[in-house]
Amino acid sequence: MRGPGETLALWLTGLVTAAVFAVLYAPLLISALFSVVEVQRGRVLWDTLSLGAYARVWSDPTVVAALVNTVVVALAAVAATAVLAVALALYTTSDGAIGRRAIELVIYLPFLMPPIVTGLSLLVASAEAGLDRGLLTIILGHIAFVLAVAYRLVLTRLQSLPASLTDASADLGASPMQTFRLVLLPQLSSAIVSGAVLALTLSFDETLISTFLAGDRMTLPLRLWAMMRVGFTPEINALVTLVLIVSIGLAAAVAWRMRP
Amino acid sequence: MTGPGRLIVFAAVAAVPAALVVLPVAGFLAMSLFRVEDGQILRRPSLANYAEFFGTWTYLGTYLGTLWLCFLVTAICLALGYPVAWFIWRQRGRRRYLLLLLAVIPLFMSYIVKLYTLRAVLGLNGLLNAALMGLGILDAPSRAFLFNQTAVLITMVVIYLPFVILPVFLSLERIAPSLVMASGDLGASALSTFRRVVLPLSLPGTVGAAVFTFVLALGDFVTPQMVGGATGFTIGRVIWSQFGLAYDWPFGAAMAAVLFATALAGIALGALALSRQRV
Repeated sequence: MRGPGETLALWLTGLVTAAVFAVLYAPLLISALFSVVEVQRGRVLWDTLSLGAYARVWSDPTVVAALVNTVVVALAAVAATAVLAVALALYTTSDGAIGRRAIELVIYLPFLMPPIVTGLSLLVASAEAGLDRGLLTIILGHIAFVLAVAYRLVLTRLQSLPASLTDASADLGASPMQTFRLVLLPQLSSAIVSGAVLALTLSFDETLISTFLAGDRMTLPLRLWAMMRVGFTPEINALVTLVLIVSIGLAAAVAWRMRP
Repeated sequence: MTGPGRLIVFAAVAAVPAALVVLPVAGFLAMSLFRVEDGQILRRPSLANYAEFFGTWTYLGTYLGTLWLCFLVTAICLALGYPVAWFIWRQRGRRRYLLLLLAVIPLFMSYIVKLYTLRAVLGLNGLLNAALMGLGILDAPSRAFLFNQTAVLITMVVIYLPFVILPVFLSLERIAPSLVMASGDLGASALSTFRRVVLPLSLPGTVGAAVFTFVLALGDFVTPQMVGGATGFTIGRVIWSQFGLAYDWPFGAAMAAVLFATALAGIALGALALSRQRV
């Protein structure tokens, strides 16, 4: 039974929720609208309605280059992260591992630090190591950032597996390598894929760390940032809408994989 | 495995995290002790950068202003995010899952895109001004919403709100339904059940959300850059300028070290608040 007070509370919080969702989803609606029509002095010019901006945005070679860079960075960072996450999780769950807590702290640190600290510490380190800024440094920055998420997912799955699984495999004469390949890896694969999709989503949008490490190479968020300083054109809105659709698609894929 | 064998495995496993995190952090902390003279980095350790930071009101004042801004952002995000999380928690079945999904998706929406559209909304010719004028609240478009500290505040709240809703919801979700029912059976009103059972039990997620929001807002340098104009300065923006135009890496590193220490202090404070709560 609900009292009148509780009904009122549900109404009020429902209103707050509706308002918050309206604000959170405004970016998608605004950029989608302004990608198909022009605006002047706050007025929508409905007679300019067209999808031309979606075609024109691809005639800009810097946008295409930025997209290629983003994909290269994301794929390289995610592949390296997946391997590292599995290796680190296997180590920290193994018997007699030393420095387990220290390793975990270091893995989680870039996720807890403000991104500006992660970005500039990697910038200083790559300058000291004589590494020029470019795609490689962006990839390293993204690995540091997304490793925590992938590691956490793989670790959780690994800890939920019964120890009898590996014991049985060893009793049946499998080498540690065979046990990993034939027993553990198939069990971990869905966690690895979830971690990889999540890492891909984060890498795709990462801006704050990348700005420090990019040099003159641009990823899509950095290119968008540069374009935004110029103004508010249908082409930018078309690109923004596409970026949002990809992000939401990736997020939906993560949600689908992790559904209860 | 023998002792030295273990050490070798440890070294091999720890090498990558060490190279990606430990060495860079150590390197930037070391950098904060150097000085720049005539465009050259002078490698003679001293605390001169820190003395300059704490001794110059322009920097210290900006830092304190940033702390206040981040506190406000966190407070407003909690005030808006908690009711949303509570509302979703009170729903059942498909509707609950759908609302949760709607709350999570903005976490993945591009940060730079949110900034871009908020600029369009808050600007002189923006939708907010158009709406306020349409409602008759304003006679002429106001410049109050863009390129100042208020714009930074509004924008950060919109960007960091999703980071509050999810953790608060997850901690509400962990509350056993039997506890809420028992409280009702024992004659507590809905309000006192909320105040004495639900709110205390949701504190871990709420404090976690607050710390997360505070740390994220603290280090944000693109938001103030994009919507802050000439007055919306934050410490993150000052640090960023040291790595760009001003080209004083050591001084930038020293300010970032202060920022880092502040973030760690925020995390420690949150952990402390939770450990006291459990007693």
